[in-house]
Amino acid sequence: MNSAQIEIQLIASLVAIACAIPGTFLVLRKMAMISDAISHAILPGIVIGFFVTQDLNSPVLILLAALTGIITVVLVEYIQKTGLVKEDTAIGLVFPALFSIGVILIAKNANDVHLDVDAVLLGELAFAPFDRLLIGGTDVGPKSLWVIGSILLVTISLLILFFKELKVSTFDTGLSASLGFSPAIIHYGLMSVSSVTTVGAFDAVGAILVVALMIAPAASAYLLTTDLKKMLALAISFGVFSAVFGYWVAHWLDASIAGSITTMLGIVFLLVYLFAPSKGIIAVMYRERQQRTEVSLLTFLLHLKNHEELEERHVNHLYEHINWQKVRARSVLDLAQKNNMILIEKNIVSLTKKGNEFTSKAIDYIITNEDSQIEDMKDDFFLFRG
Amino acid sequence: MKKIISLLAIILIFTACKDNNAKDNGKLNIVTTTTMLTDLVQNIGGDMVNAQGLMGSGVDPHLYKASEGDVSKLVNADIIFYSGLHLEGKLVEVLEKMESSNKTTIALADALDKKTLIGSEYFASNYDPHVWFDINYFEQFAEKTAAVLAEKDPTNAAKYEANKNAYIIKLEALQNTIKQTIETLPKEKRVLVTAHDAFNYFGKAYGFEVVGLQGISTATEAGVQDVQKLATFIIDKQIKAIFIESSVPKRTIEALQASVNSKGHDVKIGGTLYSDALGTTGTVEGTYIGMFEYNVNTIVNALK
Repeated sequence: MNSAQIEIQLIASLVAIACAIPGTFLVLRKMAMISDAISHAILPGIVIGFFVTQDLNSPVLILLAALTGIITVVLVEYIQKTGLVKEDTAIGLVFPALFSIGVILIAKNANDVHLDVDAVLLGELAFAPFDRLLIGGTDVGPKSLWVIGSILLVTISLLILFFKELKVSTFDTGLSASLGFSPAIIHYGLMSVSSVTTVGAFDAVGAILVVALMIAPAASAYLLTTDLKKMLALAISFGVFSAVFGYWVAHWLDASIAGSITTMLGIVFLLVYLFAPSKGIIAVMYRERQQRTEVSLLTFLLHLKNHEELEERHVNHLYEHINWQKVRARSVLDLAQKNNMILIEKNIVSLTKKGNEFTSKAIDYIITNEDSQIEDMKDDFFLFRG
Repeated sequence: MKKIISLLAIILIFTACKDNNAKDNGKLNIVTTTTMLTDLVQNIGGDMVNAQGLMGSGVDPHLYKASEGDVSKLVNADIIFYSGLHLEGKLVEVLEKMESSNKTTIALADALDKKTLIGSEYFASNYDPHVWFDINYFEQFAEKTAAVLAEKDPTNAAKYEANKNAYIIKLEALQNTIKQTIETLPKEKRVLVTAHDAFNYFGKAYGFEVVGLQGISTATEAGVQDVQKLATFIIDKQIKAIFIESSVPKRTIEALQASVNSKGHDVKIGGTLYSDALGTTGTVEGTYIGMFEYNVNTIVNALK
């Protein structure tokens, strides 16, 4: 592994961390798409910067880009506060407008210059190690490593300083206001960090990867935990893992690095989505099936309690009467028997003492609808879950 | 945080173990951007250099995306040759920056006399980058390449010089052949309609009027008006054929053909021309000379 490869992985990992931190809060605040909006809305900033400086390589362009990013956020917030449209609609209204202002400015004044977001922001991870920072003639490393490093340092300091405020204002705006933190200041602070990170990371790794690194790791972490600190840690781990592993996938396939990292992020999310212990799709399906069986069991017990007649309690009749498929009826019968709720004698089903008490309690609960009634029932009811 | 940093460190250490086996064996490692330049360096450097191209055949240099393997190629390169004049888009910027971190990067188009180049109407310092379609310019590329190689590898300087001279004789021969071929086409029929403005130098050098559907950059799309205007032009001039380019999607040219045909004039698609990249390596069109002959024959046969 040569130094360029190490540097690329280092840059990608730092970008992953720098994106995961604001990304976690964006996902929690349901504003994930703001990073995509910012990456488009910075165009007019770049164009105006070019008109002022006449130089595509001037840092003023990047500063103005970050500033336009913040303007985007302010406008989105303003439109959303009117209460007339929702957050995502406000985002969708603002960034195409800003982007098209940029396009029109180019078309009117600079049609012959290769001027677009790509021309100013490098956005190619493969080339990042070749853009060196020279201080007094000494090579101190790739420029984007320093840019991203500084952004990350500021982000982490702000995170540590304002963790409590961020936490409270993310989950309960009212409480945070009554505690004396202005939710607006925290909001704009977070959004400014997101904007600067987006522009800085855009230069290092490109637009799509920035959006992916902000959202995918945070979304994956969201499915695994409800603890903010753990969510931040998980999001960072997922981001860094995808960055490094994605790089090696690109190495094996000789493919685009950003593309491979983005694919890895997608795979990580898919795996979490499928296998997360409580929110994952498989866990949810399993739970739903259990609940369905429980409800069936209860229906069955109620039926038995209501009918003393033998013909209503005959095994074969149950299949027809309750209209269950045989297999399901069989599994419900087995379950009830296993829990000592019923007895089957000569194909006639009857409730045991335990089953009787249980069913009475259930009826009580259905009539009174008081939670206290069902509390102790849970022990009986969920026996079979263990 | 600590966990992540240690995880990173472990991964880096783990991966550091499988080091790249830099295949040095004393030869110069040379990286080129477009296929034309790869062919040129292979002709002049011969067995004395390792020449590797970044862009494959059929890749549009304006829209080239780097892959992971390109990083190692660039890192291990002793000399990087590129065309310049913004042909390689952002890569040019990167290569210019590499110059400052003591790697030799050579923009071959810098060797040309800027006054003879076709410039942009509005911005004085922007030129049409498709210079290799004038063989005289490509000969200057060859001179420059040989000079750079000789400077970097003085022991083989004489061989580079000999290879270059042999190659230039071939290029001269090529120039004569294609001029003869073009002579067989009546002057008023020498109109070349293609997808983008890659053939301006070709037109200027060999007496063709060249009309491109899109501008110089392939990143912009042709508008409806461009298609209509060009369709009228084709009918007025009674042009028999228009051409597809290997590195540009043929959709727009097909739209143009449909538009012309709907106005009652029959225009053929004359064939696929190689513009920004050569054909597949190993075929005749995979070399600069083969590509040029193929293009000229295709154009002349279709327009006759």
